[in-house]
Amino acid sequence: MITVVGAGPAGLAAALSAANAGESVELIESGARLGGQYWRNLPNSIVVDQQALNHDFQSGKVLREKVQAHPNITVLLNTQVWRASHEEGISILHTISGGTTREIRTNKLILATGAYDRTLPFPGWDIPGVMTPGGVQALLKGNNVKAGKKIVIAGTGPFLLPVATGLAKYGVDVVGLFEANRLRRWIWQLPALLNNISAIKEGASYLHTLRKFKVRVQRGYAVVEAHSGSDGNLSAVTVARVKSDFSVIEGSQRKVVCDVAAIGWGFTADLSLAGNLGLMQQVSLLDGGTYVVVDEHQGTSQAGIFAAGEITGIGGSKLSLAEGEIAGSAAAGSETNTSKKRKLAKFASALLRTYPVGPNWQSWLKPETTICRCEEVTLEIIEKSVLDLGATDSRTVKLFTRCGMGMCQGRICGRSVNDVVARISGKPASDADRVSSAARPIASPILLGELAQIPIVD
Amino acid sequence: MKQPDAIVIGAGVVGSACALGLAKAGLKVVVLDRGPVSGGTTGAGEGNILVSDKEPGPELTLAIRSRNAWFEIADEIGAGFELEAKGGIVVARTQVGATALSHLAKRQQRAGVQAHELDRSALHQLEPYLDPSIDFGFHYPADAQCQPMLSAAQMLKALRSMGGEVITGAAVRAIHTKDSAISQVVTEKEKYSTEIVINATGTWAGEIAQMAGSYLPIAPRRGFILVSAPAPNLIRHKVYDADYVANVASDSTDLQSSAVVEGTKSGTILIGASRERVGFKSDFDVSILRILARQAISLFPILASVQLMRAYRGFRPFAPDHLPVIGEDGKIKGLWHAAGHEGAGIGLAPATAEIIVGQVLAREVFMDASPFSPRRFIQESAP
Ligand SMILES: Cc1cc2nc3c(=O)[nH]c(=O)nc-3n(C[C@H](O)[C@H](O)[C@H](O)COP(=O)(O)OP(=O)(O)OC[C@H]3O[C@@H](n4cnc5c(N)ncnc54)[C@H](O)[C@@H]3O)c2cc1C
Ligand SMILES: Cc1cc2nc3c(=O)[nH]c(=O)nc-3n(C[C@H](O)[C@H](O)[C@H](O)COP(=O)(O)OP(=O)(O)OC[C@H]3O[C@@H](n4cnc5c(N)ncnc54)[C@H](O)[C@@H]3O)c2cc1C
Repeated sequence: MITVVGAGPAGLAAALSAANAGESVELIESGARLGGQYWRNLPNSIVVDQQALNHDFQSGKVLREKVQAHPNITVLLNTQVWRASHEEGISILHTISGGTTREIRTNKLILATGAYDRTLPFPGWDIPGVMTPGGVQALLKGNNVKAGKKIVIAGTGPFLLPVATGLAKYGVDVVGLFEANRLRRWIWQLPALLNNISAIKEGASYLHTLRKFKVRVQRGYAVVEAHSGSDGNLSAVTVARVKSDFSVIEGSQRKVVCDVAAIGWGFTADLSLAGNLGLMQQVSLLDGGTYVVVDEHQGTSQAGIFAAGEITGIGGSKLSLAEGEIAGSAAAGSETNTSKKRKLAKFASALLRTYPVGPNWQSWLKPETTICRCEEVTLEIIEKSVLDLGATDSRTVKLFTRCGMGMCQGRICGRSVNDVVARISGKPASDADRVSSAARPIASPILLGELAQIPIVD
Repeated sequence: MKQPDAIVIGAGVVGSACALGLAKAGLKVVVLDRGPVSGGTTGAGEGNILVSDKEPGPELTLAIRSRNAWFEIADEIGAGFELEAKGGIVVARTQVGATALSHLAKRQQRAGVQAHELDRSALHQLEPYLDPSIDFGFHYPADAQCQPMLSAAQMLKALRSMGGEVITGAAVRAIHTKDSAISQVVTEKEKYSTEIVINATGTWAGEIAQMAGSYLPIAPRRGFILVSAPAPNLIRHKVYDADYVANVASDSTDLQSSAVVEGTKSGTILIGASRERVGFKSDFDVSILRILARQAISLFPILASVQLMRAYRGFRPFAPDHLPVIGEDGKIKGLWHAAGHEGAGIGLAPATAEIIVGQVLAREVFMDASPFSPRRFIQESAP
């Protein structure tokens, strides 16, 4: 029996390949439907043109149907793993589903918990209407809701294009797409990028569609401040031309009127369960993110635990699929073929080098800018805790200021706090500090009443 | 080579209080810690400053003085560590429990602790969400709290302003003696010549004692704390069941717990803490969380519908007789221990520092501190 957590591309592919190898599989997903971030989809009762939202919708549908129909696979939807632990080769997953708790013990676990948009703090980012591309897309794909009337898409990364395209096709007024990195980075990575012609073609088709909808893609620009109207909601953003290190070119600032700004700076892996299970993690030199360390066959540092998809490094849906397939086969003890993964990984690395986040995003901050939204901790407070109170790392800053201790448990601010503290203290954040800011003994909230009722197993 | 008058090892709450006290007495002090400020058990504690949970005896005397000393320190250094005299409420649910609690409260009152008996209506007026079946308790207005990490940091800030030095990321590797007296402290970075070392390394105090050629039987006692999602204004005091006192003093190695429940300024509710002797084991079982949740709900049923957001753990430094170790080492002259405060080190830090400063400078101290003396372990260490 193999247990898979997460039903995005990686988890689906893992479940299927393990099941095809003859294993029985239990697939656990907190969401209401299979598909994860990428194939987030509406319930069948809502009829829309899903194809318009996701060019790859068809292949996702096929994969989901295969998984659902497979006699070896049990799918557990709406089931959240809120805590996990690992001892002597056995992983224990504590799940909660509709108020019912369960404990699952398994000696073969595939973790595919994915990633979410990386946010950077900037003046005004806590104004309602400032969102992430993933959030805007989820509203549209998952709930058939348009987040706003006039939307600005900004940040960096290849996925800004499909998001903007999906919104435009759906009749949303995309008033601008601001990509902080310049085109010349593409040229530097050209040889590696040309390895994946289909992805390049895909990008070109998005650009073509955007042109049709008169959405201009402006490279080398970033949203550096957000403004609220009299109702307290977003009314405009300041867009500025930025250098490659993301510092603002003075005089280039201008205001763009909008009611939603979807801003994303790549992705942050969801390492909550990986941390619970004690999986070795490492900071990537490519994008500075923290990821689960895996071997060629997606094996982790713990016996019997495999990891696939974005938690092992950001690479997009195709790479996630390839890794999932390998993890499923490896967990089932059958042959794996890693050549496809290697090729896709090369392309993914080139993309990450094309869309880096420049360190001087910090120059956009003002002393009163909020860094941790949940606990309302500003840059000034963090500065004081370092310069005045002698905090030397993010963990200590957290203990002094409560930043990262609120509802999101540092999911949103953790990485930014690492960077901010490193700048103020003049000392780069250690890997241990970065890993610890994603450590969450409780992976997701559970009612105390539900916790109290967990039956005693001896 | 630097030549400070005294070296304090440990930048937790106890070391910080000792260092500040020594500096105020005019000594040139260097604080060394292998990690950051408040990175040890101080960074994993709860900040209760309790007089209610102690049996009359030397520890209660220490606690009463310490509680007041916290407020004096706040006045002196300008607060900044969320000190608040919030008050504690201890309840009893059974006849036996109520009798035991009344008895304890009477003896505490004789020792100078304020304790007011509460009937059902008084109790529920103070804590409207308390389980309606609970009808007996005591109110301890002196029970207070602080933010332990900030407490240590603010005291060290004050120390620096007086010319003291705080060096973090500097693990002590060796302690040299000459004729059974302290002569040198060696870190991975530097060497210091000094005649006075204060061992304020909490749970790790045995290692330092050993480095200097002595012995201290300090061991870890693990504790967990649950933190809820923000649920403001549900709980107004520190509330716990009278069983807690029995638990604190217990010798059992098994898991014990009697939840202290309290609301915080940020709106979260803290539920803590369990007590277990499992060494430095960091992985944990859901059963610990469950017991704490159950106990908290049994006091405040409304908590069943509040979310658990976070949990953290720490390792209390405990001595076999559950008394802190404060005083000069039995073998090594100039080595002073200020450690082993178990689950009360935050509360007891300032008075501990007063004893240390008094003894180091051969001044009079507010109490007879001989019950805390490390000499009590000398026989144990003899081969
Ligand atoms: C806005 C946006 C646009 C994108 N556009 C593209 C694109 O055009 N092309 C492309 O290739 N890629 C795109 N991506 C990236 C793509 O979505 C990811 O590469 C892919 O989804 C990663 O797959 P995964 O299986 O690793 O994780 P995910 O798809 O994130 O799936 C992880 C799943 O695990 C579940 N989960 C997590 N934790 C738990 C838990 N504790 N208990 C139970 N379940 C849990 C989650 O609910 C989720 O369903 C885009 C992403 C975003 C956000
Ligand atoms: C869950 C829990 C809840 C608690 N709640 C409360 C409470 O409500 N009220 C209360 O009063 N107490 C409470 N406590 C107990 C309290 O936290 C401790 O008693 C107190 O923090 C001990 O402080 P300390 O300064 O002695 O030790 P620490 O804070 O552990 O400091 C010791 C320092 O020594 C350093 N060190 C160790 N070895 C070396 C070396 N070789 N070289 C250099 N440095 C070294 C460490 O890095 C550490 O920073 C609680 C404890 C736990 C675990």
